[in-house]
Amino acid sequence: MNEAIAEPVPTVARTTQTDSFDSLYERTFPKVYAYVASLLRDRSAAEDVTAQAFERAYRKRRTYRPSRGSREAWVFGIARNAALDELRKRSRRARLEGEPEDLAAPSLDDHAELALRREAVRAALETLEDRERELVALKFMGGLSNSEIARVLGVSESSAGTKLHRTITKLREACHDRG
Amino acid sequence: MTEAENTTTMQADLRAVDDALGSGAAGSADALERELQELALALRAESPEPSPGFAGELRARVRDGFPRERRLPRAQLSSLPRIPRLRRPALPVLAGVASVLVALTVAISLQSGGEKDAGQGGVPSPPNATDEGAAPAAQAPASPNGKELSEGRTLDSAPAIPPGPPPERGFAPGERERRIERSASLTLAAPEDRLDGVADGIVRLTDRFHGFVLRSSLSTGAEGTTGGDFELRIPAERLQAALGELSKLGEVRARTQSGQDVTPTFVSATERLQAARAERRSLLRRLERAPTDSAADSIRRRLDLKAGEIRGLRGELRELRTRTDYAAVSVALQAKGGESGISSPDSGEGLEGALDDALRSLGDSLEIAIRVLGVLLPLGLLAAALGLGARAVRRRRREAALG
Repeated sequence: MNEAIAEPVPTVARTTQTDSFDSLYERTFPKVYAYVASLLRDRSAAEDVTAQAFERAYRKRRTYRPSRGSREAWVFGIARNAALDELRKRSRRARLEGEPEDLAAPSLDDHAELALRREAVRAALETLEDRERELVALKFMGGLSNSEIARVLGVSESSAGTKLHRTITKLREACHDRG
Repeated sequence: MTEAENTTTMQADLRAVDDALGSGAAGSADALERELQELALALRAESPEPSPGFAGELRARVRDGFPRERRLPRAQLSSLPRIPRLRRPALPVLAGVASVLVALTVAISLQSGGEKDAGQGGVPSPPNATDEGAAPAAQAPASPNGKELSEGRTLDSAPAIPPGPPPERGFAPGERERRIERSASLTLAAPEDRLDGVADGIVRLTDRFHGFVLRSSLSTGAEGTTGGDFELRIPAERLQAALGELSKLGEVRARTQSGQDVTPTFVSATERLQAARAERRSLLRRLERAPTDSAADSIRRRLDLKAGEIRGLRGELRELRTRTDYAAVSVALQAKGGESGISSPDSGEGLEGALDDALRSLGDSLEIAIRVLGVLLPLGLLAAALGLGARAVRRRRREAALG
């Protein structure tokens, strides 16, 4: 009886862990990709970095500690490190500034007003500094809460909120200038 | 606007943004908040989406548990020598391992050093039974090139210091006949009513071994002899036998032996004496052929000086011979049950002895642990500081990528 109980335990545990990572992946993959792509502004590099980040997260999944933040924030932290490493590599070759890749061109059926609005937002995004653009990516592309952003960036929650508010205000003003 | 008002406005704005992101609609009644909500939704709409091909490929890899890529077939791989993969986090680990290895090496060397020094500090010895006090004739400063051989023993069956040349190479490695200056100290305990008899026995035994008593003192109290100290000189070649016999006179509470190799000093003095003699002979020959009286006087003065040097060297050699021919033995005699302050390693039997042994082992273990900790702690702190420093530098470099 004991043997019958003892046998399946590791299998169940392994399955649960894999399932858990699978569900984490399903929840975070599009957001992590969007964040990385916004940061790198290069689809091909974003794919590599995203895959690399999830592989790292998978291999290090046993090192995750809930006391250090949510699993989402943990994955974003890994993705951020991978993205910053990629940026460092690229900065040796060329600076980040330059015409960004058109990540999401408006479709033909977009309304003209909406298209104009998006154009203004994209232009406003260009006025942001790298760090501000990262905040926007974490908040709006990554969908992280302010406390999760604070965890990822290693700052206090109030500091993250203040920076975010300042960035949004800057964006709004930039949109006005262009509107 | 005050700071508090600013904070309130900021919190309201951020809440409005969160509401819009949560509901997917900009529904605030406040125009400014609604504008921010619309901006938030527009920003979210800018999110790049992964291509279906990439998403499918990555999902499959997740499902398979990110299998490692194999560039060679398994059969070929197995025939190749395996090279350990070093990843970046291995650096602090390697630093830690190196620290532990260094600490262990130092601890082992300290341990072996401690064992060597046991004659002085490892084994408890009575205050008057130290090597220095035990050997007035051997009080000449240790030769700088002399080699210290020291051994602490607490049992009668302790092996003797080998009389032959030491295994290590010294400063006079070619010498076959080593000159070892030996000393030993012994703490004996006997019942108070037998102390006089034991003291007599020590003197008789010294005579029997053709040694002599250099100094002796007996403490007496109201009820007779309460203790004593003896400084003996025993022929070095009979030291072990004499110690064995002395140990039988009472209960051995401590026994310490040490030896110092003075061969280099002896060889040096011998060579200097030979040289001085040769020079003296040369001077004598020159004196015979001295052309003038003043030249003869000059040579005589030099001969006098040389004669003084030769006398000094002879004395030095004589003293060295005495110190190596005779071993300095210090015997402390104590009344059994008296306050000796010395715990005997083999005096107690049964439960008491076992308890003593256990306490002593615990003390030794603590000593080793403290020594290891003394080395490991600073090294560990250093490794941790280096690890943290490396981490901070890595983090700063990464952050620098964002300008």
